[in-house]
Amino acid sequence: MILVVGVSHRTAPLDVREALAFPHEHLPQALESLRKEAGLSEACILSTCNRVEIYGREAEPRAIEAVPQFLARYHGRPLEQLRPHLYVLEGEKAIRHVFRVAASLDSMVLGEPQILGQVKDAYEAAEHAGALGATLNALRNRSVSAAKRARSETGIGQNAVSVSYVAVELARKIFGELRGKNVLMVGAGKMSLLAAKHLVTSGARATVLGGRTFAKAEELAAALGGTAAPFESLRDELGRADIVISSTGAPHTVIHREDVEQARKVRGGRPLFLIDIAVPRDVDADVAKMDGVFLYDLDDLKAVAEANLRERQKEAAAAESLVEGEIREFLAWQKSLDVVPLLVELRKKAEEIRKAELDKVRGRLGSLSPEQQQAVEAATSAIVNKLLHPPTVQIKELSKNGYSAETAGLVRRLFGL
Amino acid sequence: MGSRVYLLLTLAFYTVGAVHVVLQALLKRKLLSNALLTATLVGFALHTAGLSQRWTEAGRFPVAGVHDACSFLAWATVLGFLTTYLRTRVDALGLAVYPTAFLLVLVSNLTQPVQPDPALAGALFPVHAALAFIGYAALFVAWAMGIFYLVQERELKRRTPLSFYYLIPSLERCDTISGQAVLLGFGLLSLAITSGMALAHQSLGRYWLWDAKGITALVAWALYVILLVTRWRAGWGGRRQALLGIGAFTAVVLVFVIVATLGGSAAMAGAGAPRP
Repeated sequence: MILVVGVSHRTAPLDVREALAFPHEHLPQALESLRKEAGLSEACILSTCNRVEIYGREAEPRAIEAVPQFLARYHGRPLEQLRPHLYVLEGEKAIRHVFRVAASLDSMVLGEPQILGQVKDAYEAAEHAGALGATLNALRNRSVSAAKRARSETGIGQNAVSVSYVAVELARKIFGELRGKNVLMVGAGKMSLLAAKHLVTSGARATVLGGRTFAKAEELAAALGGTAAPFESLRDELGRADIVISSTGAPHTVIHREDVEQARKVRGGRPLFLIDIAVPRDVDADVAKMDGVFLYDLDDLKAVAEANLRERQKEAAAAESLVEGEIREFLAWQKSLDVVPLLVELRKKAEEIRKAELDKVRGRLGSLSPEQQQAVEAATSAIVNKLLHPPTVQIKELSKNGYSAETAGLVRRLFGL
Repeated sequence: MGSRVYLLLTLAFYTVGAVHVVLQALLKRKLLSNALLTATLVGFALHTAGLSQRWTEAGRFPVAGVHDACSFLAWATVLGFLTTYLRTRVDALGLAVYPTAFLLVLVSNLTQPVQPDPALAGALFPVHAALAFIGYAALFVAWAMGIFYLVQERELKRRTPLSFYYLIPSLERCDTISGQAVLLGFGLLSLAITSGMALAHQSLGRYWLWDAKGITALVAWALYVILLVTRWRAGWGGRRQALLGIGAFTAVVLVFVIVATLGGSAAMAGAGAPRP
């Protein structure tokens, strides 16, 4: 049975999640003690800033209690304190949870792409630690491929939902390819730096305008692999720039309508994308009326992010039903691996053979007394039972640790089932 | 199978395409799927077979009259779309092409073919007509991309993304594809005019006919020269180029329609290009 124990942004505040986090380098040793202490034959630990979850395959029934205890003991927290934040899921519910997490349907930001990578990393770490067997491996393959399908076949991962990515996406909607485009940074806040970094990663070149502290501009330019320029060259730089990110702390307008008009003379009709992240705003709002000039302030970017998130939410239903289909398939596959039907079949086959052979020789045996009849039955049944006993025990044993479809197939072939 | 059966089957495929893209656009979903593209290719193949059948039936290259002209124009438009899509993967173009192809094939299905003018014989004529029609298809692509440019620009200016923001490619893409399509369309139109002049000289002994088609061709040609020159100087087409591209093509279409309604059987054989 698959077991999930964990906390997430839905059930626990950040400090609890932080307290329960597993640093990546501790994973091998944590996985080992987890399996030993909690009675799991397979285990995987997913630890991100939004969730800490243990996926396991129960070898013993005590696991359902032992895994929460392990979490508490490992992190030196009293279990009672954790209890209200913990969720413990088993069987189908656990499987559904794992699939939904990988597909980013349970994420804080619906459809965010990082979780799938984190999930893959977690499985990989478990694999390296030798904690992965056939069951969790199958869960991994199915849930990861379901997540990929959900991303490619529905729109849950489409359109940026963070302000800095929205800026990049808008730039793409204007310029298409960003390679070779010039980004001009006027002032530097945290968010503008983030947006500039995304743009540079996409191939854009950065120029940083320095104010009173030119050294800071040079430092920033170096970090972005670009160049620094004095603030006085604003108009020249505006003529060269394709994207301008302005985020000075100035209490007044920094980029005036005249500046942009001046710059347009040398621009040859190329569009200009102005991103004004400053509060109060740096760019004269009138500029937006000019042909080929696109001005977005912080509120505009937030509005786009929200609109994008609404688009994603509309796609969530489609993604849910796609993932549900994959879950059903996984459950059906798991059921096919169940040893009980296999053993029943094996026993039935043996019984049929015994009966058929007895019927054949009945004539030659002549009439038997009820006692004799009983003795023949008992003897033949004993032969069958004794022959089948070791394989039955072995199959049951195999099913406890990593029993696979191939094993089932082999058993079927050996016994002609 | 007769050419009309092919045409009816083609209509079925293009109808599916038109309904599909419109529905997908309303649902804000991905416009094209592999299944739809396959259906389009099958429809296009049937259309091609139908045209070839019609050619055999008529005994001459069939572009005369509304029936044949619409059919061939639809064929050229779908060809233009498939070529553009394979090169650029811009699926928004389907939004313009599928309904257009559907309408043209519908009109073609509803009209009776006319017997081509015997004057339209000769090996050069099919070449001339194909150049003109494919040229117009390219200019249609440019027209559609120009409209997309304006719509996308409006979405970006408004700062609140609506459905078109998601469907339509970037301004740069619209601008580039539109520019390339104009260049190609212009080139083909020039060749069509040249071959038309050769044809006119061959059968009438004159190089130029000052009829509606001749004038339109000249006007269209001049408009696109202006467009290309200003574009070449500016580098980026932008809003003005988009408007020019839309205006030029709209003018061409208007004359095309006027000529088709006023003119005789052969009027549509190569509207915009002089023909005997």
